[in-house]
Amino acid sequence: MSEMWINMGPQHPMTHGLWNLRVKIDGERILDVDPEMGYLHRGIEKISEDRHYNEVVTLMDRSCYVAGLNWEHLYILASEQALHISPPERAEYIRMMCAEFQRIGSHIMWYAAFVQDIGLMTPFLYGMRDRDLVLDLFQSFTGARMTYEYMRVGGVRNDLPPPFLAQARKVLDWLVPRFKEYDELCIGSDIFHKRCDNLGVLSASECVRHGVTGPMLRSAGLKRDLRKDRPYSMYRDVDFDVALADGADVTGRYLVRMEEMRQSIRILRQVLDWLEHHPGPVMADQLPRWLGAPYAPVGKEGYVLKRNYAKGVGFSSIEEPHGEAQAYVVNEGSERPYRVKFRSPVFANISAARQYLVGYRVADIPPIMGSVDPCIGEVDR
Amino acid sequence: MDSLYSVSYGISHAIAFALGSILPSGARAAIESSDVVVAFAVLIFGVIILAATMINTIMLIWWERKLLGRFMDRRAAMHVGFAGLLQNFADGFKLFRKDTVKPRDADRLGFYFGPTAYMITSLMIFGILPISSGWDTGALPLTLLLALAIFAFAPLFIFVSAWSSNNKYSLMGGMRSAAQMIAYEVPLLLAVVAVVLVAGSFDLNTIVYEQQNYWFWGPLCVALVVFVAAMLAEMERIPFDLPEAEAELVEGWNTEYGGMFFAFFMFTDYLRALVGSVLVVLLFLGGWTLPTWVPSAATSFPLAGIVWFMVKTYIVFGLFVWVRASLPRVRTDQLLRVGWNRMIPLSLLSVFLAALVVMAKCLPVFGCLPSVGT
Amino acid sequence: MQPDDLARTLSPKLGDLLLGVEPFEGMAGRVRFRREGALDLFRVVRDDLSFTHLSMVGGVDWVDHREVFYVAWSDSLRQYLLLSTDVPAEDPRVESASSVWPSANWHERETWELVGVSFDHHPDLRHLLTPDGYAFHPLLRSFKLHEPEELEVKSRHV
Repeated sequence: MSEMWINMGPQHPMTHGLWNLRVKIDGERILDVDPEMGYLHRGIEKISEDRHYNEVVTLMDRSCYVAGLNWEHLYILASEQALHISPPERAEYIRMMCAEFQRIGSHIMWYAAFVQDIGLMTPFLYGMRDRDLVLDLFQSFTGARMTYEYMRVGGVRNDLPPPFLAQARKVLDWLVPRFKEYDELCIGSDIFHKRCDNLGVLSASECVRHGVTGPMLRSAGLKRDLRKDRPYSMYRDVDFDVALADGADVTGRYLVRMEEMRQSIRILRQVLDWLEHHPGPVMADQLPRWLGAPYAPVGKEGYVLKRNYAKGVGFSSIEEPHGEAQAYVVNEGSERPYRVKFRSPVFANISAARQYLVGYRVADIPPIMGSVDPCIGEVDR
Repeated sequence: MDSLYSVSYGISHAIAFALGSILPSGARAAIESSDVVVAFAVLIFGVIILAATMINTIMLIWWERKLLGRFMDRRAAMHVGFAGLLQNFADGFKLFRKDTVKPRDADRLGFYFGPTAYMITSLMIFGILPISSGWDTGALPLTLLLALAIFAFAPLFIFVSAWSSNNKYSLMGGMRSAAQMIAYEVPLLLAVVAVVLVAGSFDLNTIVYEQQNYWFWGPLCVALVVFVAAMLAEMERIPFDLPEAEAELVEGWNTEYGGMFFAFFMFTDYLRALVGSVLVVLLFLGGWTLPTWVPSAATSFPLAGIVWFMVKTYIVFGLFVWVRASLPRVRTDQLLRVGWNRMIPLSLLSVFLAALVVMAKCLPVFGCLPSVGT
Repeated sequence: MQPDDLARTLSPKLGDLLLGVEPFEGMAGRVRFRREGALDLFRVVRDDLSFTHLSMVGGVDWVDHREVFYVAWSDSLRQYLLLSTDVPAEDPRVESASSVWPSANWHERETWELVGVSFDHHPDLRHLLTPDGYAFHPLLRSFKLHEPEELEVKSRHV
């Protein structure tokens, strides 16, 4: 076969979402790649300019559909800074709890999808089974399994129901031995090592050059975790280690994510203990009344600044399951954000695709791209 | 009820005489003549084999689904029929009702010929394989060789259908499939040579009779390992299912097929899995025989041979399913490297070991390995 | 690092291309600069101030002018830095940062198509999220929601 371009996507089992990886191949070898995005572009940043601050939370769930609460967290942190509102401590702890459970849910989802890419069917169903428990937990206090709409500017929507803490501890106890099972199926298998070792290598300096963050960066041995380096919410008060690996390859990313789930469980146990002993309000008092105002579309006259409120710019950056997510919210004294800009970690990770794909084989694309954990909802926004 | 011939001849005879009794005497003589009855018997013979093969293949899919479900901590098919037994029939009917979409630029002849020939050649194998004493097509001296020869047609038809689909993924899948099947054909045949050496015949009946005292899996364990691994590659099952590795090649060489022709491919894959399991049972696990220490009650009921044969076949296939449930897929280059660098030396070693076994049979010291044929 | 430290390092190297350094909550500071000094500033920020990681490039449409902002992270300082420059709406262009930080590539493509700021010497300025030939910059204030838009979308692969 001579050189040819093939389209892996937008409808292709490898993509895990709607995007197109154009690959130039010679036989089985990859010569060049060109990721094409935009198939899932919904204009979330534009729609946000048309919504009240709290209504944007709805869009955040759709931003990354496996890490909805992380994105709510991100947006809420930036908005609170822009609006000069600070939430009560209990709300911060609940958000942290949401974020860590969501991280576990997202990583399990990643595990399920990733192992299926290299042909393992069984762990896929194990992963889905265990992720359901996390979703059940979310359902018990947000009422939804995927699009939660739970966080609010100034706090969270409601407090946890009384049996929640016991349930959550039960789930954590169930998950710990499951992670061992996951490892036995993957790391314990020679074929897994044959497939994943020294694959998709991207060194730490290249990661930094190309803006790659998250487990991909930590698998290269660079210790950067915003929860430690720039603690937001209450991460300063909990005790955990940053998951690291060396090798900068697919196996390394697998190990980092597995370790992160274990660390999340460690964080969660501390957070659940805190929540048990510190009841209190979950919403800030003295919020401006318009924060709860219903949605009213902008009319023909365009964007009218109706109220005068202190202006401000908010910036937040969190360690999302996929990497560093950032939000930049401009508040111009209206009830709607003037401009919202999100930085998706997967966006940057995919943009470096040429660096970690070229030179490998076609059969390596699914494990490598799987190890990036692409969530196209947050790339296209 | 002691052989497939007598069953089909009996049915044919009964039908001919039942028809004859209601026809005028001229026609009656014609229809009750022995030539007509025999010709009719051959037809019924074929129909029985075809029906049994198809039902068994579909049951095999059910068996795989149920087993996989258990491995994966879920319950698999359970709604259509008892324990989901009819689920695959329902799925099959659904596929047959569906439209077959041919890509505009696909080659018409190859596109339809490929899957059809793939299925027909694989079905032919079952005309040869014996499933119990007497339940076979009879005295063909080279059944094993013929079965393997027909089995080896497959890469050709896969490649024809992949190429004529005019799709890059199909083509890549077809190339991989051809490379893989050709690479693993050699160790497969060498492992079979080991069996043939010990049994002294290419006739599957003889091979089974030779195993009455000891099954070949013991003395020929290396050959068994080679045979099973090569068979997994020939069947294109995980961990060697890279021609249709869905993660990178969509569905490999059957990407462009839908409806009935997809059903042909799917069905034939399991047909070939059935052939593989049957061959493992025949060559290494004593076919329909049981070890001599088993009480005779277990082998004396009617059709006992067929029952035990099926039990063994399903257990062997269950092992293939187990492998599928617990191993990831390898890469093409790794597969080919293992095929040429490891499997072929190993299969040569198995032939050498088989020669030692043959020599041992001739030595009076090893009286524990008596042979029936000598 | 505080805004004063930033100003002390930056002002001798950039002169009047530096418009000022303001404090910004949660960051080392916010550096405002003239667009002519973009590349010089990026090099100084990366090499002298060790902000090796460019996280985000974005744009804000202020109707009369547009603002381009950059967020950079330093692994040694464990801090973010916000850089921003104003470009006139009639001539919205600024030098591309992708020669200094390759990670700016996609962010600038996105900013170009959504906010309509063009980046000079960008290696690969193509549409990323919107279809090729899409004639609008959706994040401009003049692009109104709730109004039918007339699109002419060219085929992506010719």
